[in-house]
Amino acid sequence: MKIKDTAVGVMIALLLLTVVAVILLGGTAHTPSTGIRPLAEFYLKHCINVYNTTWWTSSPAAVTSMLWDYRGLDTYYETSVFFLAIISGAALFRIAEVKLKAEEGRGREELGLSIIVKTSTRIIFPLILAVSVSVALHGHLNPGGGFQAGSILAVGPLLLIASFSRRYLEDRLRLSRAKCVALFTVGLVLIVLVAALPLAMGGALMQNQPKYWSPKSPWGSLTKIGPLELSGTIFFLDIAELFAVGFGFTLLFLLLSMPEKEFRRLLGL
Amino acid sequence: MSIEHFLQLYCYVALVVIIMISLYGIVRGASLTKKLIALTIFGDVANALIIYVGYRLGEEVFVPVLPTLEPSPEDIAWFTSVAVDPVPQCLVITAIVINMAVTLFLAFLVIQAYRLYGTTVVKKIARLRG
Repeated sequence: MKIKDTAVGVMIALLLLTVVAVILLGGTAHTPSTGIRPLAEFYLKHCINVYNTTWWTSSPAAVTSMLWDYRGLDTYYETSVFFLAIISGAALFRIAEVKLKAEEGRGREELGLSIIVKTSTRIIFPLILAVSVSVALHGHLNPGGGFQAGSILAVGPLLLIASFSRRYLEDRLRLSRAKCVALFTVGLVLIVLVAALPLAMGGALMQNQPKYWSPKSPWGSLTKIGPLELSGTIFFLDIAELFAVGFGFTLLFLLLSMPEKEFRRLLGL
Repeated sequence: MSIEHFLQLYCYVALVVIIMISLYGIVRGASLTKKLIALTIFGDVANALIIYVGYRLGEEVFVPVLPTLEPSPEDIAWFTSVAVDPVPQCLVITAIVINMAVTLFLAFLVIQAYRLYGTTVVKKIARLRG
């Protein structure tokens, strides 16, 4: 036991020394300095460059433009990892709603935290929803976007679960687990559509604005609808991500807050 | 060594030290729950480190969002000369969400292990038979 402890300690100390040495010798290539990498400079220069529209994304937010136009595959695969994590979590907790309801019994809606907490939650909950939708809709022009908006959206149901109960969310607000799965899937299908439609319409996969290698964008360069400033399909991607991330997390929170006693009885333990 | 360089090095070393502590927690934590907590810290610090690599020193530093929709060439030149590196931020946006989803999934696994074995202490689970 002693030897094992020492070995782990020595190994971690060695790792620490190595990492610090690597940083000191310049291994991170470009520690904070007054300049930036050429790649970053390219992205910054071209994100809303009206004078060179063969490379632009027509979005002033460099991070958002990179998320879809320059590094779309990265986002796409990370969304699939997210999908896998949610689905495997849901599969572990698969249990019939009818059975669970019968086990849980009635009169549980009355439980929850004090009236002060409940009233403040009632006030805050719509605000959270409004902020998340606003972050999603402005994501292509301002800091923000679908991922962030979805994370904010999921805080609302979590707050409700904590201050009221899970039953309140599922029975009163009618946001059942099945509905969460459905909305989550709607978001994912929208992401796939936004990604694949340009290919079907003669452009490149995940294309947004016209690019050097594929000058004909199927959407044209969709930068304006009426008075609305758009950045092509980034806007739709943000809305799709809002649904996928927000309701995916809501589903997981609903599953996490399942009552332990009833669940064990249903498992036969 | 100027004060800026010292602070810069200090930030790096602090982040690396926290990573090491969380690694120790992942390896030597007694309970699965504690391992999960250490893993969360590890992920968050790794994200902070990535963001920090993209930071930029200087008199004027700006977020990577252009404040105008119809920029002149001077605007673009100014933006390129002051904005921080957007690449790490882009990677971290997705990483945070994935991190949270994976953490929740692992939390499910820990809960399930607790239901089945009645304990989350790794050594006790290893001693169980059948």
